[in-house]
Amino acid sequence: MQVKFELVTYDDAIDKFEQDDNVYLLELDDEQTQTYNLLKDKDLSLYNWFKESEFFLNWIKEEVYPKSVGKKIAISDINGISFLRFYFFKVTSGDIHYEYFKKMFDILHELDWQDREDVGEEILERLVVKRQELIIELQDDAAQIALSDSNSNA
Amino acid sequence: MDNKYINKMLAEMDKDLSSKGLSRREAMKMAGISGASFFMGGASSAEAAEEVAPASVAKGKIVIIGGGLAGMSTARRLTNFLSNPDITVIEPEALSVSYQPGQTLVAAGIWEENDIAYKRDEYVPDGVKLIKDKAIAFDPKNNTVTTASGEVVSYDYMVVAAGLQLDFERIKGLEAAGRAYSAGDNKKLLDALGDSISSIYTAQGATKTWEQMQKYIAQAKQAKPGEKVQFVFTHPGTPIKCGGAPKKIVYLTNARLKEAGARENADLTYYPAGGAMFGVPEYHDAILEQFKREGFKWHYRHDLTEVEPENKIAVFDSKWQEKGEWDPQMREFEVIGKHEKLRVPYDFLHITPAQLAPREIAESDIGSAKGWVPVNKETLQHIKFRNIFAIGDIAQVPMGKTGGSVRKQYKVLVENLIAEMEGKKLPAKYAGYTVCPLITSIGTVMLAEFDWTVTPTPLVPLDPTVERWMWWLMKVYALKPMTIYGMIVTGKA
Repeated sequence: MQVKFELVTYDDAIDKFEQDDNVYLLELDDEQTQTYNLLKDKDLSLYNWFKESEFFLNWIKEEVYPKSVGKKIAISDINGISFLRFYFFKVTSGDIHYEYFKKMFDILHELDWQDREDVGEEILERLVVKRQELIIELQDDAAQIALSDSNSNA
Repeated sequence: MDNKYINKMLAEMDKDLSSKGLSRREAMKMAGISGASFFMGGASSAEAAEEVAPASVAKGKIVIIGGGLAGMSTARRLTNFLSNPDITVIEPEALSVSYQPGQTLVAAGIWEENDIAYKRDEYVPDGVKLIKDKAIAFDPKNNTVTTASGEVVSYDYMVVAAGLQLDFERIKGLEAAGRAYSAGDNKKLLDALGDSISSIYTAQGATKTWEQMQKYIAQAKQAKPGEKVQFVFTHPGTPIKCGGAPKKIVYLTNARLKEAGARENADLTYYPAGGAMFGVPEYHDAILEQFKREGFKWHYRHDLTEVEPENKIAVFDSKWQEKGEWDPQMREFEVIGKHEKLRVPYDFLHITPAQLAPREIAESDIGSAKGWVPVNKETLQHIKFRNIFAIGDIAQVPMGKTGGSVRKQYKVLVENLIAEMEGKKLPAKYAGYTVCPLITSIGTVMLAEFDWTVTPTPLVPLDPTVERWMWWLMKVYALKPMTIYGMIVTGKA
């Protein structure tokens, strides 16, 4: 099957993400398709599977961003499953994102007093850490292998 | 409350119970006759086994900051489980163990202030030292606390149970009220509130609320056709003790107005700063239906910022949301917060004040940016200092500012503190249980129990959104002795 990806690039110096306006297509083999179908309802599990898969990283380095060692990217959409909220959430973002992050970060629901601005600030604080987990740094092959080894040993 | 009413309530209760396969006798047994302890969270078999566990020989000087329900119960329970306890409680207020959940009943003329006043000195556990002073400085790196009189108290372990402060001074027009605690002499606050503003959040204020309520009910009785006496109730935008209390006083005022035959001549309007009646959707829905049934008015997202007692005007910051600009990154329209001042005339104004951590804690190394003591919400251990724990209103634990929460927390804290003293892994976890007996009239209570799952967690298998006389009996007769005797005197409930 074919999977459509949208990506963002991350600039360390200004701590900002920028949308890459292209849509990239990746062909999955049968085994990968099976895994995709198993994980497609769990957005972050799906994200992490791609992030940690050699075939995906190789595709990014060889076809999407060739000769870009050191570049930092993140996935913003996988076949319509959006991750934009992780990079661009603001206090003025919609309620649906608040609900998503409140559940993810275990921000308890004291509706009778919690203030939108307060909750929004707390989400932004937590996202500082979460974003770092999502960023993919493109390495040369040897470093990428070492990185994935250390990840699997962690 | 006549026999017809009681029989109707009993018939409804029987019908509900029989659908669960329970008789009234069995339910009452579960509910209290066999131990009112269930009311504030029940007692599991694990907890029962714990009661006979041998005392620990762990040693260390324990200082407890605050001698209210949380502090004194913790002190008492520690003496149950330590063979050689060395415990000091620092508490300046002579009536610190007074029974705060009774303040709503005082405000409705059901109890008197004397019914909830308990003297600290009579409830200090045997062998526990008491320093009648206020802790005003904390040095957690050197394990010392300094009191207002300059005494430096060292500790090996510290439990912070300092409670919270009622922040009336942030309301423009009430600056002179300052900040207050629930118990003790609140003359300055009452003077600042004057004749038409009341608050059940202090014991003296509860008495004054009842006086004011009667005065304005009498006014409603004499109102000319078409005139309505305006009863206005507020709920702030901060965490508060017992989130149900601001609504309880609405219900009780309503009950007294009906009793006086004056309900038609009064408007009861509730202004919460938040956007819902309750944090648990099931209870929110039930309360909303009750509000509609009783003809109350309500306006969400209104935060009291100012009062003009001379003009009898309450000023609210009214908030709402509007659709904003298109956000190309998020691919959606932004949600823009708007607000404006709203001037509301009142005859009777009940204020639930914003509530804060005391300054000496908020501004110390043991407080968080928000002021509360930051603890692991399950173990109640400070996130930076392993030898410090916090409990009750001051602990940065979501939804935990009730006596029902403390009743669960103090067992967890004692078990974990002793484990820490013994160098062991902390074994006990607080799951967020709390309970709010929401008085919906004189004679009925909806028992709102919940935990961090944010769903109803009733201990008796009955529909928890139904108002019951049985829970009223528990609130009025069982809860106080269970708290004062069960928790503070024995440390077991």
